[in-house]
Amino acid sequence: MNTYYAANLLVYAGIDIIACLALNLQFGVSGIVNFSFIVFQAVGAYAAAVLSMPPDTANGGFQHYIGGYSLTFPIPWIGGAVAGGLLAIPVGFVVLRKLRSDYQAIALLVLSVIANTVITNADKFLGGAAGIALVPPPLSERIDPNTESYQYLYVGITAVCVVLTLFLVNRIVNSPYGRSLRAMRERELAATAIGKNPVELKMTIFIVGGVIAGLSGAILVGFIQVWAPSVWLYPETIVLFAAIIVGGRGSNIGAILGALLVPVGFEEVTRFLNNDPAIANLGPPGLIPALQWVAIGLLIIGFLWFRPDGVHPEARRVFEGAPALED
Amino acid sequence: MLAEPQPLATAERPMLAASDIHRHFEGMHAVDGVSIDVPVGKITGLIGPNGAGKSTFLAVLAGTLPATSGAILFDGQDVTSWPAYRRARHGLVRTFQLPSEFARLTVLENLLVAAPKNRGDSLFGALRGRGYWIEDERRLVQQARALLKRFGMSAKESDYAGTMSGGQKRLIEIMRALMLGPRLLLLDEPMSGVHPKIVLEIQHYLEDLRREGLTILMVEHELHMVERLCDTVVVMAQGKVIGSGTMSSLRRQREIVDAYLVG
Repeated sequence: MNTYYAANLLVYAGIDIIACLALNLQFGVSGIVNFSFIVFQAVGAYAAAVLSMPPDTANGGFQHYIGGYSLTFPIPWIGGAVAGGLLAIPVGFVVLRKLRSDYQAIALLVLSVIANTVITNADKFLGGAAGIALVPPPLSERIDPNTESYQYLYVGITAVCVVLTLFLVNRIVNSPYGRSLRAMRERELAATAIGKNPVELKMTIFIVGGVIAGLSGAILVGFIQVWAPSVWLYPETIVLFAAIIVGGRGSNIGAILGALLVPVGFEEVTRFLNNDPAIANLGPPGLIPALQWVAIGLLIIGFLWFRPDGVHPEARRVFEGAPALED
Repeated sequence: MLAEPQPLATAERPMLAASDIHRHFEGMHAVDGVSIDVPVGKITGLIGPNGAGKSTFLAVLAGTLPATSGAILFDGQDVTSWPAYRRARHGLVRTFQLPSEFARLTVLENLLVAAPKNRGDSLFGALRGRGYWIEDERRLVQQARALLKRFGMSAKESDYAGTMSGGQKRLIEIMRALMLGPRLLLLDEPMSGVHPKIVLEIQHYLEDLRREGLTILMVEHELHMVERLCDTVVVMAQGKVIGSGTMSSLRRQREIVDAYLVG
């Protein structure tokens, strides 16, 4: 396995883990069905891109985007995280306050589709359908990005972000605050009756999740150096939901396993199917990619049916000094 | 056991005074001008036929449903415009007619989650780490375990609440409400769907709580229970109060007997 492929796999794994930890906090722990999750990753990527890139008049002015501040690492990544959090405020304000939770899910899905369409068609804003290219990789002014050592460096920075994210979400999930979030997930009305303010809890977690999602987008765009609406279509969110369901809703370890099994493992395996001409030429063009989506759908249904708690279910909290369990 | 409130309410001033409460659903007057006083340290019963508006009225008092009009004074404070969670934090705590446990939390967690004053129960408290809140947590675990012991459910503390029987879920809900340190407990049919043996247990617990000075307003269909437990009983029919007094005095009032007590 060559270094570039290994680095590629590891960075993607890190990004997917970070994204899944954020989505698990929102969906698995707090019960917010955020079907627009990918939009928060996208806004982080766009923000990091325009913060790190020169103005669009550079490079012969072949692309159009707003901003262009040529800021150095880590400011674009911080900016990406902040952008994800800032976007969560108006979205949460509109969606999370009045609507019932199933309508929240639909509203967020629609938002994801609308946002993608708007960015695709507003071609002077963030590059339109063509997107943004030549995003400078972090620290590229000091280290040549086309070297093996840079690849290792990128893996290292990503790993630091994974550890930091895991540290933060663990603190939230395993605290009394996390318990309040789980109570809200279980029964919102009863949570209100014991003094919890569900709107406040949801808004807070929506923003925290937005920040983490934005960071994951910033890491991704720094690595692939391009960003366009085609990489953040709404089904990408479904892949992350599949990861959470497969891994185990509410469990951070489950979210990590889910990220490794679904977006990384599953997609890598099926990618190789495309490399085999005998399989790639099977049936009409586009059959194999379409079947990948079918497979994701089947994976979700299969797990919900046969193993709804996932491969690593949410842990039961047993307190010090508790009597032994009967079962 | 219960948190020490500083009751402003006295024998003269009721714990809760609701005046002229209306709650309309698109022209249907579910609660139609109800006024009641809930005296301190007593159990007040709320009875009436199905559809009389009892549960709706309770939900309006708790803030789960906003009142269309009317005023609610809780311990002398006007809480009419307060959302439900704020009323709960101030000690006006309700339970539900249907079991409303947090199924995927353990029995002990169901109690702990209701406890106010835990430093770890905020985002920043949580982010500061275990060391910041563990003392609060230990204190509350002790408090919750004392309640579990009293209600005979110590052995179940680590079981998921969703796996408990209907009666045990009722007990969990009452214990959960007590963790808040309520000054007024609104119970919505605490005995419904519960095994007769646990009905007796719940009755004893409620009598104990009254002895300790807790004020309770309870909706209940089981009239023998109402007779044994409640100091005063309010009868509702078709969204209005049609009478109030002790159960034995109500039994002598012809129109109340016609409306509810018979058939």
